[in-house]
Amino acid sequence: MLDTTVALLVAAVLAGTPLLLGALGEILTERSGNLNLGVEGMMFMGAITGLIGSFFYEQAVIGAGLAPSGALSALIALLVSFLAGAFGALIYGFLTITLRANQNVTGLILTIFGTGFGNFFGEYFGLKAGGYIAVSKATKSAFAPINIPYLSDLPVVGKLFFSYNWMVYFAIALAIAMAWFFFKSRVGLNLRAVGEDPAAADAAGINVSRYRYFATVIGGGICGIGGMYMCMVTTSGVWVHGCVSGYGWLAVALVIFATWRPLRGMVLAVIFGGLMVMRMYISIPGLPAQIYEMVPYVITILVLVITSIRQSKEHAMPASCGLNYFREDR
Amino acid sequence: MKKRVLAILLTVVLVALLLPGCSKPTTAQGDITKDNIKVGFVHVSDPSDMGYTYNHDLGTKEMQKALGLRDDQIINKFNVAEGAACDTALRELLDAGCNIIFATSFGFEDYVLEIAQEYPDVQFCHATGYQAAGADLPNFHNYFASIYEARYLAGIAAGLKTETNKLGYVAAFPFAEVISGYTAFYLGAKSVNPKVTMEIMYTNSWNDPTVEAQVAKALIDKGCDVISQHSDSTAPATTAEENGVWQVGYNNDMISAAPNASLISARIDWGIYVTFAVQSVLAGKEIPVDWCAGLADGAVYLSPLNTAIAAPGTQEAIDEATKGILDGSLHVFAGPLNGKGSDFSGNPITIDVAAGEYFHEQEDASAPSWCYIIPGCTVLE
Repeated sequence: MLDTTVALLVAAVLAGTPLLLGALGEILTERSGNLNLGVEGMMFMGAITGLIGSFFYEQAVIGAGLAPSGALSALIALLVSFLAGAFGALIYGFLTITLRANQNVTGLILTIFGTGFGNFFGEYFGLKAGGYIAVSKATKSAFAPINIPYLSDLPVVGKLFFSYNWMVYFAIALAIAMAWFFFKSRVGLNLRAVGEDPAAADAAGINVSRYRYFATVIGGGICGIGGMYMCMVTTSGVWVHGCVSGYGWLAVALVIFATWRPLRGMVLAVIFGGLMVMRMYISIPGLPAQIYEMVPYVITILVLVITSIRQSKEHAMPASCGLNYFREDR
Repeated sequence: MKKRVLAILLTVVLVALLLPGCSKPTTAQGDITKDNIKVGFVHVSDPSDMGYTYNHDLGTKEMQKALGLRDDQIINKFNVAEGAACDTALRELLDAGCNIIFATSFGFEDYVLEIAQEYPDVQFCHATGYQAAGADLPNFHNYFASIYEARYLAGIAAGLKTETNKLGYVAAFPFAEVISGYTAFYLGAKSVNPKVTMEIMYTNSWNDPTVEAQVAKALIDKGCDVISQHSDSTAPATTAEENGVWQVGYNNDMISAAPNASLISARIDWGIYVTFAVQSVLAGKEIPVDWCAGLADGAVYLSPLNTAIAAPGTQEAIDEATKGILDGSLHVFAGPLNGKGSDFSGNPITIDVAAGEYFHEQEDASAPSWCYIIPGCTVLE
């Protein structure tokens, strides 16, 4: 029983990490007042570019007769996927902040674009590489679970806390840093002000456009890293058509569930991840798998209903989220 | 005004560009020859799965080489979902002038059947389906290979290797094709290791690497130390490798994906049928309604055994069983054998094969029909 619980928790953390990264990116974006529904698209863009970044680095190094370094390859994947997600978000930012296009429509378009971008280049480079893109053992081992002497060998605790790949710890650190940024730093306060009431922020001398651009682009980059996780960890460094498949949308749901709070998102990502893999560990006879798969979405709807009944300002969406800011409207 | 003129101009240009696309396709009238035949394929995934679609695509290449067709005579539609997208893909292939179309996933069958009635001059071949026999259409055919024979042999490698005596099976759907496959695999393992049991978990998708990896991990967490699969990707193999257990593959030699885990794989040589069917069209001959071949014809086979990690004596045991299957002394679904299942409407059904008799799998139809869970196999849902 204990073994099953520990195994379920470990699997939940692994399944929850890409959701957490996607949700963190989206929390940053929405806190600035931009409702970017293109998380799925940006995750796809990060996934394929991160993988081909590593792949080309390895090809170049192997071509030069040297052995590729796993750590460097992972770093390249991280950087490139961040840039790709940021690029997607930049398109979104330009359309909504500068050109003031409708945020919902632009976000949905970004999802469609990013999905196509990922699958197109996945297939294109796959054909060029003679079948499929897969990274070598060096990169794969860079994304393998870490092994800390003594700590990782501890019973239960070692498995629960010290048996993940580095991206899990990266995501946790990012969540903590983001919570600090929002609630303890001056710039974070300014950003929240922009998301709540851009006119007031503008009057206080905060450059609304600049804050929105930075938050959206960096948020998009973090979503891209979440996509890279899917490609490098979940599918073990092989490009698989449609590998993000719905995780981006779950991340958007997670943002609402977490009421726009990074630390809450961290805990709830594990719960979402757990719900996704639960049927494989705890079987309730006669309950179809499809019911299990519905649970995260049902919970999101419940949370929406409950928060709208409670009308608590603290847990509400940033007031200006989804609305473009016209200075002349003030 | 200027803008309006520009808009009209642009529209005209766009329409002009689109028109050639609408022109009636040049469907091959008259004789179909090696130089003008066009062959279409609809796949649920693409060769990057390194599994099912990759393997079927090898069959395509085998046919192309054997018949000497040019690249532009073969049109592939990859990553087509088992839904309305299949209809679109089929119509695109027809528009491109295909004379024969292969649809390779189970869920395509209804769409193929519908279109086959509209286009009597085009041959449609559907893998793993079961409706051709009853459809009474001269241009609609089913094909498959008796993969259960190869799975039985692959099961021997798993049965000899397992230390926990617990096998895990990543299964796609609770369909006869899948159940027949894992039952054969289990029977093969049991033939060399009477103590072995097997746990089966469904992914409810032919190709969803994320879920395949998660299911494989869950099975490993339950103590299974050899993982096999009826799913399209190599995710179960790489998961087994990461967790230090073993794996038996399907469709493709998965040793390169998981060198320390993959023992052996059960494979289908699709090239035999694809070549035969295209050749039949060229020769103006009829394609059989239902085509199935097995071990004896080389349509199913095993990838080379990973001798570095396989249990000693595995190859000998497999060779002996192969001989038995080929000379008819060994039947995979041999009695005494009983199992429980459910029919299409969900009513419980049972089967009891008496000692000395055997279940005639894939003999009357190419589609597998064994849909019973036997003692020793546990389905986790």
